[in-house]
Amino acid sequence: MKKGLFLIGLMFFGLFQAGQSIAHTPLCSCYDNGDGTITCEGGFSDGSSAAGVEMRVLDSSGKVLVKDRMDEDSEFTCKRPDAPYKVQFDAGPGHLVEINGRDIVE
Amino acid sequence: MKKKKAIVALAGQPNCGKSTLFNALTGASQHVANYPGITVEKKTGTYRYNGARVGVVDLPGTYSLTSYPLEERVSRDFLIQEKPSIVVNVADASNLKRNLCFTLQLLEMGARVILDLNMMDVAERRGIEIDCEKLGRRLGIEVVPTVIKNGRGRSELLEAIHRASNSRKRIDHLPVEYKSMEPLLKEIEEGLSGEKALIEHYPARWLAVKLMENDNGARIIIRRSHSNPDELLELALKKRQEFESMHGEVPERHIAYCRIQASEEISRECVMHSAGPAAATLSDRIDRIVCNRFLGPLILVGVIYLLYYLSIVQGYNVTNYTWPFLAKLRELVESIMPAPGFIDEPLMRALALWFMDSINALLNYIPIFLILFSLIALLEDSGYMPRMAFILDRIFQRFGLHGQSTLPMVLGGIYVGGCAVPAVMSCKGIPDERSRLATMLVIPMLNCLAKVPLYVLLINIYFAGHKGLAMFFISTVSILIALPVAKVLTLTVLRGKETAPFIMEIPPYHMPTIKGVLKRAIERVWIFIRKIVTIVAAVAVIIFVLLQFPGLDNGRKAHYDAEKEKAIAAFYKKTLDNPYVGQFCEKELMALILYWDEYKSAKMRANGKEATQALNRKFEKQNPAFFKIVRPGTDRAAKKANRAFKKLVKKRKGLLREIKKERIDNSFLGQIGRIMEPATRWAGFNWRVNVALLSAFAAKESSVATLGVLYQQEEDGETLESRMAKGETDFTPLHALALMLFMVLYPPCIATMIMVKIQSGSVKWMFFSLLYPMVLGVIAATLVFTGGSALGLSGLQAMFAFYGLVLALTVAMGLIKNRSEFK
Repeated sequence: MKKGLFLIGLMFFGLFQAGQSIAHTPLCSCYDNGDGTITCEGGFSDGSSAAGVEMRVLDSSGKVLVKDRMDEDSEFTCKRPDAPYKVQFDAGPGHLVEINGRDIVE
Repeated sequence: MKKKKAIVALAGQPNCGKSTLFNALTGASQHVANYPGITVEKKTGTYRYNGARVGVVDLPGTYSLTSYPLEERVSRDFLIQEKPSIVVNVADASNLKRNLCFTLQLLEMGARVILDLNMMDVAERRGIEIDCEKLGRRLGIEVVPTVIKNGRGRSELLEAIHRASNSRKRIDHLPVEYKSMEPLLKEIEEGLSGEKALIEHYPARWLAVKLMENDNGARIIIRRSHSNPDELLELALKKRQEFESMHGEVPERHIAYCRIQASEEISRECVMHSAGPAAATLSDRIDRIVCNRFLGPLILVGVIYLLYYLSIVQGYNVTNYTWPFLAKLRELVESIMPAPGFIDEPLMRALALWFMDSINALLNYIPIFLILFSLIALLEDSGYMPRMAFILDRIFQRFGLHGQSTLPMVLGGIYVGGCAVPAVMSCKGIPDERSRLATMLVIPMLNCLAKVPLYVLLINIYFAGHKGLAMFFISTVSILIALPVAKVLTLTVLRGKETAPFIMEIPPYHMPTIKGVLKRAIERVWIFIRKIVTIVAAVAVIIFVLLQFPGLDNGRKAHYDAEKEKAIAAFYKKTLDNPYVGQFCEKELMALILYWDEYKSAKMRANGKEATQALNRKFEKQNPAFFKIVRPGTDRAAKKANRAFKKLVKKRKGLLREIKKERIDNSFLGQIGRIMEPATRWAGFNWRVNVALLSAFAAKESSVATLGVLYQQEEDGETLESRMAKGETDFTPLHALALMLFMVLYPPCIATMIMVKIQSGSVKWMFFSLLYPMVLGVIAATLVFTGGSALGLSGLQAMFAFYGLVLALTVAMGLIKNRSEFK
């Protein structure tokens, strides 16, 4: 009986709840499109979209070359810098992914 | 009468290795639940010995066995009512005198006791020698010396349990002599002698002593089972008064004193100190630094920070390495499900993936938990934990919390980024019922990591000029709300709950063993998996239905079908004469889309140059024709096909997104959002924000993304900020602040909720922990939005005003005194 009540309760309130804070591991990976541009795709481990997450491309001295956001498909495309660079996916403290330009290949 | 199997109860004072013994006996066959209706944990398990199954119950660690506080009552009731075959009294050999008081109480209850003198190594190091044989003779029970944490004496103990449970011998001598009180006790015992059934169940001697102590539990037993309770209780009361007037001493004091004296006597006879107390002072020397008035708090902050950093921050980093395995699992499920169409997904597939995502999301916690629980076990085993509570108790007490609320609060995210699930789980260490519930109830208000992306998004849009300030506000406002709320709760709904005075024994430091720490950590993670995952799986299905149905009507379906045809036609038109595409039928086109998706998700996981190259080779081998379109290289025609194809994929994604949004808006969930609008309007949330918030909580979708969908795209390439700022013209920083505050107060997730249910042992508290923060959230949001609008405040001004308000509230609440039953 008690278990039944519990489950009914969960049904009712679960919908306000599920998943929102479940450990979000940020994910981001980039590849070279072979036409002088790179594309990064992001997301979270729970299947959340990363739309709106800030993306930055930095040169080796840390200067920001490009700053933009993930589009609705959780994608970000930009011109590939000629010099060594890195890409940052920044969804806030504890949610930063950094990718070295060397690892972004075709 | 049903035949009972052998039950062994483990009883003893805290910090003497009772849980370690429990683990050593039962291994993996454990079950943790709560005693019905209360927050005290009941650990049970079994083991086999000589082919017979033996049940083990780990009773709460307590210093005594009175009917107060809760833990002691639970232990005592279990011993009286369930009558375990054997009670293993785990005692700290290095502190025998104190532990003997407990043993004597067990013996008085008529329990069949084996004394496990644990931590013999500590005793030996301190030069304490115990004559176990003499001790056993003196007490009339078997005494087994052990060092359970490294297995010494385990088999002897098992053998002793086996022997004792097969013997019919009962203990018949009096463990404690109450001297001048004895004649009075005799008289009470006589009043009990006629009650055969009663004495069969409860030893007359024990009842007499308890009645003399005016113990509530004993009075209840008499009321229930004695044929003439009023007369006997009156007799007991008279004898109490008689004793008091004769000796000028309260009977319970005399009883306690006699017990301590008996323990002292026995321990003097059986314990020899060979070396001086020099070795014992190592703990004292450490404490001189660790509990120092100035250094103590500093060390504490350092330990807390390290705990947080290693488990939450580094734990998240570890998930980067463990996540791919979970992703693989999901892919496996994906591959055996029916394939999706261009815009329609088979229900079976949608459900299976949704289910998998829900479970995976929980499994992703495991590395965090493993680190966290190991560190906690380390702190517990080393003996630092009680010292930590001791240092912080003074502050927390002001808010109705307890020194041991520290750890849960830190894990929950006292600054920014914690996780409520382990935080609630660690509440069970708090020894006082009222503080334990209060801590459990405020933890969901702290800033869990998953709330962070939404804050960042809103701050970037509406408080762009004051990012640091806004982030500081959001990071600290949650604790400033949680503390006064805890106080209010303890003054109101939790007022009747039991509290325990802060009596904490500071045990000597031990060196924890790696095996012990890991074992405990793994055991706790396993409990988490078993408890949470099954329930979440059930709930995931229900939420799926709420989000999926009633679905789109036929008119809208036809509309999306037409859109799909248009997109495909456009693709064919562009690639009419393309050698790589020309001959594709629709089925092949769909296969290409799936191939592309698969390729991309494989790439998401591939790390580094070599892995990517290997991946490319694999996909090329699998389907060279498709690969040419996916990776065109320098071939011009292939590049053209690639571009057209990418456009098609993008169009498909867009359509899927629109369908999803429309389906959520129409779903049962969406309808709830609409119903709520009249109430939430004052907090600045229109129905679309409601739906977004609801689905953000319900769906596996971060709030960022849901809000992104909410504000329709107008131009290509426009950022979410500009869309948000433009899409809803009446959306102001005040709206954003109201939304953020609502998020601060909102309970984080279903896993937390279930943890509250498990730890509090009640569905009622689970609902309460869910509903009251929502109500508070709406109130705070309304205050900021409606109040701020009425006063004409800007977002930043409203932020300062609100901060000032809660700060004042925190200080004020800290000054109100909690009525305490203890003087």
